Amino acid sequence: MAAQSHDGDVAIVVHPDTPVNNLTLAEVRKVFLGERQYWNANIPVVLLIRAPVARERNVVLKTIYQMSESQFKQYWIAKIFRAESATAPKVVYSNDMANELASAIPGAIALTDVREVRPGTKVIRVDGRLPGEPGYPLR
Amino acid sequence: MLSRLLPLLLVSLVTSPLLAQSPPQSAEPEPSIQGLLDRVEQLEKRIAELEDHERKQATTTPPADSSSQNGAGIKLVEAGASPAPASHSEHMGSATEEREAQIHYPSLQIRGFGDVDFSATDQKGSVSGFDLGQFVLHLASPLSQKVSYFGEVSFTAQPNTYEVNVERTIIRYDYNDYFKMSFGKYHTPIGYWNTAFHHGAWLQTTIARPQMVKFGGTFIPVHFVGLQAEGNIPSGALGLGYNLGIGNGRNSMFSRAGDSGDVNDNRAWVANLFARPTRVYGLEVGGSYYRDKLTPNPGTNFDEWIASAYVVWNKQRPELLAEYANVHHRDLQTSETFNTTSYYVQLAYRLPWQEDKWKPYYRFEYIHRPGVEPVWDITGTASVVDLVGSLVGVRYDITNYAAFKGEYRNFRQGAGKPRVGGAFFQTAFTF
Repeated sequence: MAAQSHDGDVAIVVHPDTPVNNLTLAEVRKVFLGERQYWNANIPVVLLIRAPVARERNVVLKTIYQMSESQFKQYWIAKIFRAESATAPKVVYSNDMANELASAIPGAIALTDVREVRPGTKVIRVDGRLPGEPGYPLR
Repeated sequence: MLSRLLPLLLVSLVTSPLLAQSPPQSAEPEPSIQGLLDRVEQLEKRIAELEDHERKQATTTPPADSSSQNGAGIKLVEAGASPAPASHSEHMGSATEEREAQIHYPSLQIRGFGDVDFSATDQKGSVSGFDLGQFVLHLASPLSQKVSYFGEVSFTAQPNTYEVNVERTIIRYDYNDYFKMSFGKYHTPIGYWNTAFHHGAWLQTTIARPQMVKFGGTFIPVHFVGLQAEGNIPSGALGLGYNLGIGNGRNSMFSRAGDSGDVNDNRAWVANLFARPTRVYGLEVGGSYYRDKLTPNPGTNFDEWIASAYVVWNKQRPELLAEYANVHHRDLQTSETFNTTSYYVQLAYRLPWQEDKWKPYYRFEYIHRPGVEPVWDITGTASVVDLVGSLVGVRYDITNYAAFKGEYRNFRQGAGKPRVGGAFFQTAFTF
């Protein structure tokens, strides 16, 4: 990864075939809220979210969802109950698992500590910035 | 009772000394501590060998085949579906992960909702007491990457039995985010509440639904049987979305949908447009239009137009729901027109203490109908009446999946009628 490493930054990694390289924070939010469910007509978005207590999960809840843990759970129960989504985000238990599934599943998107990004995934820019660059919003 | 327990007591009294005096079951010598340590060491070596073997296998395992790579329906734990375990081994072998990532269609998930209620009012003739509310089962099942099924079944307690109703049954095909086509029975996308909370009392902040969207009420057609197209509208930061539906509309009994067929040859249609602006996260505004031809009795026909609008701020600090609807009826024989208007405003605030468990709320609601309204009065009993009322209450979230609510309501239902006050309590949950 070309970006300068920055302790504490959380990278958004996707499957290499995902047709995006840059998203605004608002677009990232739409993806994680399940309002955007397809990258294109053939590639569905597959959300991978760390299990509770992980720092990456806290960053997702605080910065992207702006919800508490219980609000997040209620949000997805309601989302499925409203028939707006058939499945909730999948839980991953480690950064290794997030990397491996993001590299194996087309359309997968996950957050991982920037120091633990593995080859086989693509790191996307958020608001035009990579992790480690000044102004990167996910930390 | 005592006579039944006495033999048991006697048997236990007789056998316990015998058992206490029994010799040890095995006369084999106990292994030494050193022997046990050696055994532990051997087992640890064996585990290390097996882990090494699994790791080597994982690196040589080819990537999952294309049929298992298309994402939807992965068999992993879902974040919102159930409480996820708090900790897990930091590293899972990739072979295990890929095994878990196999697709299984259909992938049925069932979620239940229930509530238990207590009410006491000063209305003449009313009886205070408990009731079981509704027991609701919700089904969701992806059938393939692009086809999903959703269903909702309710069980409502009646004096002699339980009434079972299919509230929703929907099969949906997703082409992309902009076009999703479905068929079945829906909650009509008029306004906000009717499609936001459905029959899950746990999902809504308050105990009661507003009168304008009350189940079993007739103000708006709560259900709709037919087909619907929905999706996002490419609109950048505006975040526009739509629902377009065509279907059977109201039955001759206005509180019910035409599940078994329409009452006339005229289909109802509904169009709903909403915006969730990306720059104002939490805000949603929308409006809808509904059109139907009503045939309450053979030869009696009315046109029905329902216009509605809403604004919602769905953050918890504060939470604001405000909705307005006007129901317009036109008698097709006399061309007389009738308008009934309703709105409500609901405010709530999640208090930042005690782990955000407390949420006080307030709602004002209003319905005004003409003195003579042949559609509402078709059965001889007014199905929609004037209403002015408010409620104040508090919700306490006992856990992430259960809440306790208490509220006081004060309302006047019917022109010239006295005001009625009442206390209501509910525990609502999902499982």
